[in-house]
Amino acid sequence: MTNAQLDTPVLILGGGVAGLAAAVDLARRGVAATIIEREPRLGGRASQFCCKATEACARCGACRLGELLVQAAHLPQITIYTAALAVAAQPQGDGWRVELSPQPGGEIGPGPGRPLRERTTLNTQAVILAVGGEAFNPAGKTRFGHGRVDGVFSALELEAMLSQGALGPDGLAPAKVAFIQCVGSRDASLGRLWCSRVCCGYALRMGRVIRKLLPESQVTFFHMDVQDYGRAWEDELPELRKQMRFVRAMPGEVTAGDGRPEVTYALAGEQAIKEGFDLVVLSVGLGPPNGASALGELFGAAKDSDGFLTTDGGPAGVFVAGAAAGPRSLNESMVHGGLAASQAASRVASLTEARHG
Amino acid sequence: MRLNDCDPGFKHEVAAEPGGEGIRACFACAACSARCPVGANRPDYDPRRLIRLTLLGRRDEVLSSPLIWLCSSCYTCGEVCPQQVRFTEVLTAIKNIAAREGHAPPSAKITAELLAKQGRLLEVTDFENDKRADLGLPPVEQRPGDFQAILGLKPAEGEAGEEPR
Repeated sequence: MTNAQLDTPVLILGGGVAGLAAAVDLARRGVAATIIEREPRLGGRASQFCCKATEACARCGACRLGELLVQAAHLPQITIYTAALAVAAQPQGDGWRVELSPQPGGEIGPGPGRPLRERTTLNTQAVILAVGGEAFNPAGKTRFGHGRVDGVFSALELEAMLSQGALGPDGLAPAKVAFIQCVGSRDASLGRLWCSRVCCGYALRMGRVIRKLLPESQVTFFHMDVQDYGRAWEDELPELRKQMRFVRAMPGEVTAGDGRPEVTYALAGEQAIKEGFDLVVLSVGLGPPNGASALGELFGAAKDSDGFLTTDGGPAGVFVAGAAAGPRSLNESMVHGGLAASQAASRVASLTEARHG
Repeated sequence: MRLNDCDPGFKHEVAAEPGGEGIRACFACAACSARCPVGANRPDYDPRRLIRLTLLGRRDEVLSSPLIWLCSSCYTCGEVCPQQVRFTEVLTAIKNIAAREGHAPPSAKITAELLAKQGRLLEVTDFENDKRADLGLPPVEQRPGDFQAILGLKPAEGEAGEEPR
């Protein structure tokens, strides 16, 4: 059986914000691109994120996914296959020859793109790896009680709760909310030494959203230190400190108290105490994508010391974009996608010139 | 607190001691303080505070403090530490410096004397060896020589003399 054949100047692996931004950027430069997404629909992690605006836009970037999806659907230079996986790849001439395999469960979902139906061989001049990062599974930090203690959620679960309107006067109305930072970041005991860079920003912004939805609620922010999370973050902090209680201590554990989770922590110069909360949110960090090694091997991309993908010194024509290359916010992932697009476009242009010149 | 009263070299002195290296990695996150069972019973015992005092160079205050001898070596601090500071080991390093400078509490001296005399904390008597003989086990000998060498009471084995029985 021969595979279906496809030719594309640029292949983009991953239809999250980085991959979509790269495709849109390429289309604006007049370069066609094919996105393959392993899930049945596009959007990646960003599709689960909530808007973090209160009085003003918080510039979290969550809404820009919709914009990108519309552009990707309408730009004729962009072809999208969902439920598709790259299973083999080899350098071929100036570019790459990539085997794509359809994934089970690839029904047509809402949004742009159609599922890949058959094994396909794709020839391309450049490859952009935009497969995203992987959020830390908080069950790996057992002492914080996720999956064991009722009322303990990961920040991703809170994103979903907020975007579905589950919190508010007519829904869940926790009187006391705690955020625990650096869960799965800056943790030598887990071998995860990096700062995930996005958690302080999303936690403080979601804390502010909760305070807006439930003005009577009290929000506590357990942290080691507050990291830079974007433009003018230092100017926002004084106001945030008025709205929330900042506690500079990492809790020792979260246990099941009397019907709600209890957090054990020690303030400077004071004895450890247990304090009850209605909702404890674990601010999970960003790690390398699952299967980074396999994908790296496929396209000859190396891993950096933290396990993220890098193409420094790697093969020609392979670029990495977004959180696959290191922890990045949505806005940063989109900009990074644009960078990969410009690199891929230069390569396509120089190859075309060489052929015709 | 006056900065002039602090010894900036103290943290390096602790880090150079076996087990003390971990002090360099502390984020002062207080996870150790949150879980320390000694701290739960002694309001003035706080691992984070002892580390901060050491990093600040409060040498005399740390070495002469009775608090450094209270650690129960349960290693809970090490379990929860995100930075693998191993506070139990750091404190052992601090205690070693303190002991060298004569700050060891009476209990530590009594312990050392028992080790020098018996080679172990519990004296071996006929009771233990009769029980062992009943079970077909060889008798245990008290061999305090190694400890006497460690404590500087006699030359190390191999350097001179025969081990006392």
